[in-house]
Amino acid sequence: MSEAPSVVPPASVVLVSGGSRGLGLAIVTDLLAAGLKVAAFARTVTPELTALGEKFPDHLHYGSVDVNDAAAGQAFVKAVESTLGPIDALVNNAAIGQDSLHVHTSADHLAEIIRTNLTSPLILTRFVLRRMLAKGLKGRIVNITSICAQRGYPGLVAYSATKGGMDAATRSLARELGGRILANAVAPGFFASEMSAVLGQTQLDQIVRRTPTGHLTEPEDVLPVVRMLLLENTNLNGQVLVVDGAASI
Amino acid sequence: MGEVMTAQGRALPAEDTADLREIGFRSLDFSELALRVEDELGDELNFDAPGLRRIATVGDVLDFIEQLQSA
Repeated sequence: MSEAPSVVPPASVVLVSGGSRGLGLAIVTDLLAAGLKVAAFARTVTPELTALGEKFPDHLHYGSVDVNDAAAGQAFVKAVESTLGPIDALVNNAAIGQDSLHVHTSADHLAEIIRTNLTSPLILTRFVLRRMLAKGLKGRIVNITSICAQRGYPGLVAYSATKGGMDAATRSLARELGGRILANAVAPGFFASEMSAVLGQTQLDQIVRRTPTGHLTEPEDVLPVVRMLLLENTNLNGQVLVVDGAASI
Repeated sequence: MGEVMTAQGRALPAEDTADLREIGFRSLDFSELALRVEDELGDELNFDAPGLRRIATVGDVLDFIEQLQSA
């Protein structure tokens, strides 16, 4: 069956997983400021997310959901649809980090990392896509991956594998969805906070020295890229956009 | 199938032999149709891609959906 060209409209209702802190919270904040309706979930709802909910009661739907609880995630999606309207964009941001050499990472912990960072986002994506397609909607998917998917770093073997998996899934989704739903990934370099805590100071200093822009990636560097992928008509599809100041080049 | 096409401002041809490429019925349109059928059945219709690739006409689509429902 042939695929006809189509234009995907800007996102209007965006679901952000892992939206209670760090980059996820920054994405939620940025999209609300841009006037979009946003749904955000995370294992733990932070005071910052609660404050956003009080500031944007008609535009933000949030709740406590573990991304690994598929049933809870699906119930959340349905609740969002009833409060904000049909979801037409998904930002897969929820993930857990790693700080252990592969040989010292238990099999159970490996499985947990893969489940949280790869299996569960794919299951959530599948569910959201099914809702979009059933409603005849066009839409957008943005997967937050990592420079770890493209470069090697010690202590991040399983984490890197999951992010590489999401990059690969992004490309296949773009093909499979025939331009009706745009799928792209954003791969930040190391943040000065959170995930970077798993690297030693020496390693971080080394990365900074080798970064042409002279600083580690900040959430503020990533926000315009995510916003562009959700709102602009760029014909970007199936791409992984690295935001790391050329540290990895 | 008619509902999916109507939602996109197109009409379903009367002939079962109508070529899907010619009427602009894409693979994702098939997915949309399958999801609508799922809603009615209250059950998931999962299938592999090779079966989908053999579908070329309106009649093929209707036959395939019928097979999925009876499986």
